[in-house]
Amino acid sequence: MHQLVKSFAFIIFIFNPLLTSSHDGEKHSMKGHSKADMMEQCVEPTIVMQKEHFKFLYHQRDKTVIKGVRTKKHSLANCIDCHVSYDNKGEAIPVNSDGQFCQTCHVETAVNIDCFSCHASVPRGKQVILKSNDNIKSISNIHAKTSYLIKNLEDMHYEK
Amino acid sequence: MKNNSLLTRRDFLVKSFTAFSAIYIIPDIIPHASASKPLDKEVDSSTRWAMNVDIDKCVEGCSACVDACVDENGLYGFDRPETDSQWIRKLTLKDIKTEKISTLPMMCQHCENPPCCDVCPTGASFRREDGIVMVNQHTCIGCRYCMMACPFKARSFVHENLTEQVTNAPRGKGCVESCNFCANRIDHGADTTACEEACMNEGHQAITFGDLSNPNSRVNKAIDNKPGRRLRADLALKQRVTYSGF
Ligand code: HEC
Ligand code: HEC
Ligand code: HEC
Repeated sequence: MHQLVKSFAFIIFIFNPLLTSSHDGEKHSMKGHSKADMMEQCVEPTIVMQKEHFKFLYHQRDKTVIKGVRTKKHSLANCIDCHVSYDNKGEAIPVNSDGQFCQTCHVETAVNIDCFSCHASVPRGKQVILKSNDNIKSISNIHAKTSYLIKNLEDMHYEK
Repeated sequence: MKNNSLLTRRDFLVKSFTAFSAIYIIPDIIPHASASKPLDKEVDSSTRWAMNVDIDKCVEGCSACVDACVDENGLYGFDRPETDSQWIRKLTLKDIKTEKISTLPMMCQHCENPPCCDVCPTGASFRREDGIVMVNQHTCIGCRYCMMACPFKARSFVHENLTEQVTNAPRGKGCVESCNFCANRIDHGADTTACEEACMNEGHQAITFGDLSNPNSRVNKAIDNKPGRRLRADLALKQRVTYSGF
């Protein structure tokens, strides 16, 4: 009996790597190229992100598009901002291009996503708000601009 | 630029000038703190975004609003005016009786009874709680019924693969798109759209945007001063975009 338990445990020990996904705990980001590479932690624990990232994204996209919720945590724009790599010249490399963060695992697992036919695959353009680390600052900038506009309009009223 | 297309649809012209019967009734004024919505809060109907265009102030030949929209949403086209996306365009109208020429920006009118949403087979065309009519591109199948249903020709279809989208305005082949009152900016706390801002910066102040529920919003002040009218009021679509000065 004792012998049986022992050999059973041995078998489990041997085959254990096959039972868990070979991706657990393994890192897929390229070191030293993206913001994420200099950080410890994703927006959720790594193990959760590896298995559920698309659930967060799908959930977030409905919340954002239909309900207007703009939290950054599960925002696709935010994933890209943090996970995009930069080449030697400081140019951002599309996150879905060969060997990049949102592509390597998907190739291995034969996942096809169309997100980047619409979503910018590098942080791009008019993104005063999402780019800045302190949201508050840029929002107050906008307010400053707007109150200036209101003033203009009031002046116009007085002229009449 | 692809604006200033002289309005050829006589039909639109005639009706525009004859059918402004319904004067905008200024909605019940609810005292309303117009503090910007926290990022994690859902939009609700206590905010009612609206826009007014004062046609007397809209300058012929000016395309500041169109250009600002292109920049804001990365609407760079392929130099094919027939099919390139336009979320806002300039129209030139001529009054048949007085020969008076006027020019105005035309965009999604954000109807309270939007025909585009009525015909959409997937529910991708929808009206957000705060009154913004838009396309959920994740569920849009590109059938273009909404484009046919829209009396203002406000929507565009993306015919080609796109590459240079800006982060804040994802868009791509096979989907319909249109003005969304700069929903992304608004949700992040701005209370002005790209086109209004450009019009103000240009010094014309023809476009005013704001929350109808807030008596102090710029749009409310503008229509207090000069009533805004709905185009094609006969259709009873109750647009949130109004025009004054006709
Ligand atoms: C603020 C930066 C940041 C943001 C934003 C961010 N991540 Fe991460 N992400 C990280 C870091 C850092 C790691 C590596 C964690 C580790 O080493 O354990 C990581 C790891 C991951 C992993 C596991 C990668 C691996 O090597 O196994 C996935 C998948 C992932 N992120 C997806 C996403 C998605 C999807 C989003 C958007 C919802 C996102 N991340 C947003 C920083 C970020
Ligand atoms: C046909 C174009 C299109 C495709 C394809 C598409 N999206 Fe989007 N997505 C949009 C548009 C348009 C918005 C609204 C942007 C806004 O209002 O800020 C959006 C918004 C989002 C948002 C909320 C904004 C943000 O950055 O967090 C998420 C999350 C999102 N999409 C996820 C996805 C994912 C995941 C995929 C792929 C499975 C995808 N989208 C594919 C067009 C598209
Ligand atoms: C750790 C490897 C890994 C990384 C890194 C990764 N993914 Fe994934 N992704 C997967 C796997 C595996 C699946 C399939 C999961 C399943 O179907 O159960 C998947 C599925 C998805 C799906 C759902 C696809 C579908 O068919 O429904 C989306 C969307 C997605 N990933 C987006 C992203 C984005 C965006 C990034 C970059 C920020 C990213 N992923 C990075 C491994 C990864």
